[in-house]
Order: sequence, then C-alpha cells, then structure tokens
Amino acid sequence: MKSARHKFTSSAMLMAAGVATLLPTPAQAHMGTGLPGGFISGFLHPFSGADHLLAMVSVGLWGAFLGRPLLYVLPVVFPAMMVVGAILGMFVVPMPPVQIGIAVSVLVLGLCIALSLKAPVWAACGVVALFAVFHGYAHGRELPSAADPIGYSAGFVLATGLLHVSGICLGFLNHWRQGVMATRSIGAVIAAAGAWFLFQAVGA
Amino acid sequence: MRGGALPPALLLGALGLALAFAPRRIWLPSLIALLAALAACSVMPVPRLGLEGVFLACWSSVILTAASVHWVGGLPGWAALALAVNAGVWASAVVSASGSPRDLLSALPWVLLVLPASWVARRHTTIAVKMASSWVIAVAVLAATLQLLPVTPGYMPDHLE
Repeated sequence: MKSARHKFTSSAMLMAAGVATLLPTPAQAHMGTGLPGGFISGFLHPFSGADHLLAMVSVGLWGAFLGRPLLYVLPVVFPAMMVVGAILGMFVVPMPPVQIGIAVSVLVLGLCIALSLKAPVWAACGVVALFAVFHGYAHGRELPSAADPIGYSAGFVLATGLLHVSGICLGFLNHWRQGVMATRSIGAVIAAAGAWFLFQAVGA
Repeated sequence: MRGGALPPALLLGALGLALAFAPRRIWLPSLIALLAALAACSVMPVPRLGLEGVFLACWSSVILTAASVHWVGGLPGWAALALAVNAGVWASAVVSASGSPRDLLSALPWVLLVLPASWVARRHTTIAVKMASSWVIAVAVLAATLQLLPVTPGYMPDHLE
C-alpha cells in the first residue's frame, strides 16, 4: 500500500516536472515594445493585492463548503465572468467604484464561509459572477498596456485558477470537525479583512 | 509583442486537452494529421494584410478546441482528426504571420498535455480538465477582444522588430 502510494507520488511529481519543462520561458530583455508586463507579471498580479488574493481563495473555499456541483462550478464561473469584466475594463465601460466592489466581494465571501452559508446553485453562481466582473474589470484596465497582453492574460487567468484550487484544497480541512472550525475562522478573518478594505475604499 | 510561442502553444495545449476525451486509438492518427498540417502550411506564405484574420482564426480555434471537451459522450474520432488538422493549420499560420519556426517547435510539446489530461480524466475527475479548458477559453476570448481595441501599445513594433 505504502509502495503504491510512493509510486503514485513519484508519478505525479514526474508529470508536474514534465509539464513545467514545457512552459515557454522567453527572454525578458527586449521583448515587444519594451513595456512591462508579460506572463510573469500577469501571474504575479493576483498575488500583489491581498483583496484579489483573498477573494479568489474564498471562491474555492466557499465551493468546498457548498459541495458538488458548486465545488467545481464556481471556479469555472469566476474566470468566465472575470473575462466579461476584463472586456468591460478594456473598453473603459463606466462601472460603480471597482475598489468598493472588490472590497465587498472579500467581505461577503468571507461571511459566507464564516457562517457556512448553504446557498442554492443559482444564488451562489450569481454572487460569484457579480464579484468576478469587478475583479476582471481591474485586470482589464491594465491588460492592453502590457508588453505581451496574451502572456499577461494567460498569467493572471492561471494564477486565478490556482488560487481557486488552493481554496478548494483548504476546504479539505472540513473532513475533520476541528477543520470546519478552522476554515470558518479563516472565513471570519477574510470577512474582517474585507471590512477593512471597504473602510479604506469608502474613505479614499 | 503579439506572436511568439504562446498562441500556438495555447492552441496545441487545447488540442491536447480535447484529445484526452477522444478514443486512445485516434491519438496517433491525430498527431500525424497535426504534423502533416503543420508541415504543409508552414511553407505557404501568409499575406501581411491577413494578420488580423489569422490571429482571429487562431483564437477562435483555441475556443472551439477547448470547448470540445464538453462533447457529450466523448470526442468522436472524426472530430479529433478535424480538430488536429485545424490546429495544425492555424498554429502554422500564426507563426508564419508573426513568429519564427522556433516558436512552433517550442509550442509543439504542449500537445503532450493529452497524457496528464487523460490520466486525470480516467480517474473520474474530468472536471479538472474541463476547468483547465475553461481557463484556456478565457485567455483566448481576452486575446481575441484585444484585437478590437483601437490602440494596444504592446502590439506596436519596437526597434528590434
């Protein structure tokens, strides 16, 4: 049994290493017009702001509380609607204050986790879709000015997806009673951070 | 920077994800069809005026190929072959229009995503592959939309181009 598990882990690590070697790694000097922004900056963008990061992890974590099918549907809905938001951002379509929308998304998603809110499929998808538009809008404003817009968008979509997956993985703690308390506490901390972001956004 | 290895890599990666849902016996014929289409189209010149059209066709192909993972009952053999030929044509065209043969070579291994994707799909976790395909679709939609913008500074040539 132990040997089978060891074999599985080795195969998974080999596969991950294989995929990593396939990633194109262009030289960063003299790329395009000399503007900043390629795959790496797109990938790092969601990690550069705690508000984006917490919202995206929350989507996966809330999905873990809601179970199937939302466990998988939410991380698909979010990037799809984030693209809609990004397109609105690219064309500078007027929107309600985006920073407030992002702060509210962190607050609400944190509360959903802290209260272990079991929303119906349509409501959960609607809430996540609405918030994804705000996050996408912020990315979309920056996208056209990147040196490599395609690389930038690939980077931020991949990072967003991986943050959702990390939220889902965090949700595995729910298999234990103490784990549920831990994830709900994480939700409370996220909600508190959302309240702080909202305070800052309204005050700005 | 507009071309490079990323557009053909996304297209061939999407093909890899799609092939994971096709019968295994069709993998080799699809790979041969892909290589044949790549070879045939790499010698054909792409008119400079057709740059926008070539990129649009490439992004549409990425969306179509990635969306085919949702084909009910799995991807039929004929569809896998058709997608492989289509991917070969547009990957080659996009590199001919804005890139170098080296970009195509570095993009080609992405079709091997079929191996981890089918491994995952066989373990009743097809949704993970479908999630990855939704990310590819998201990137392709963004890239296609960028073409509609009047000014995209990243697409302007610099002193090296």
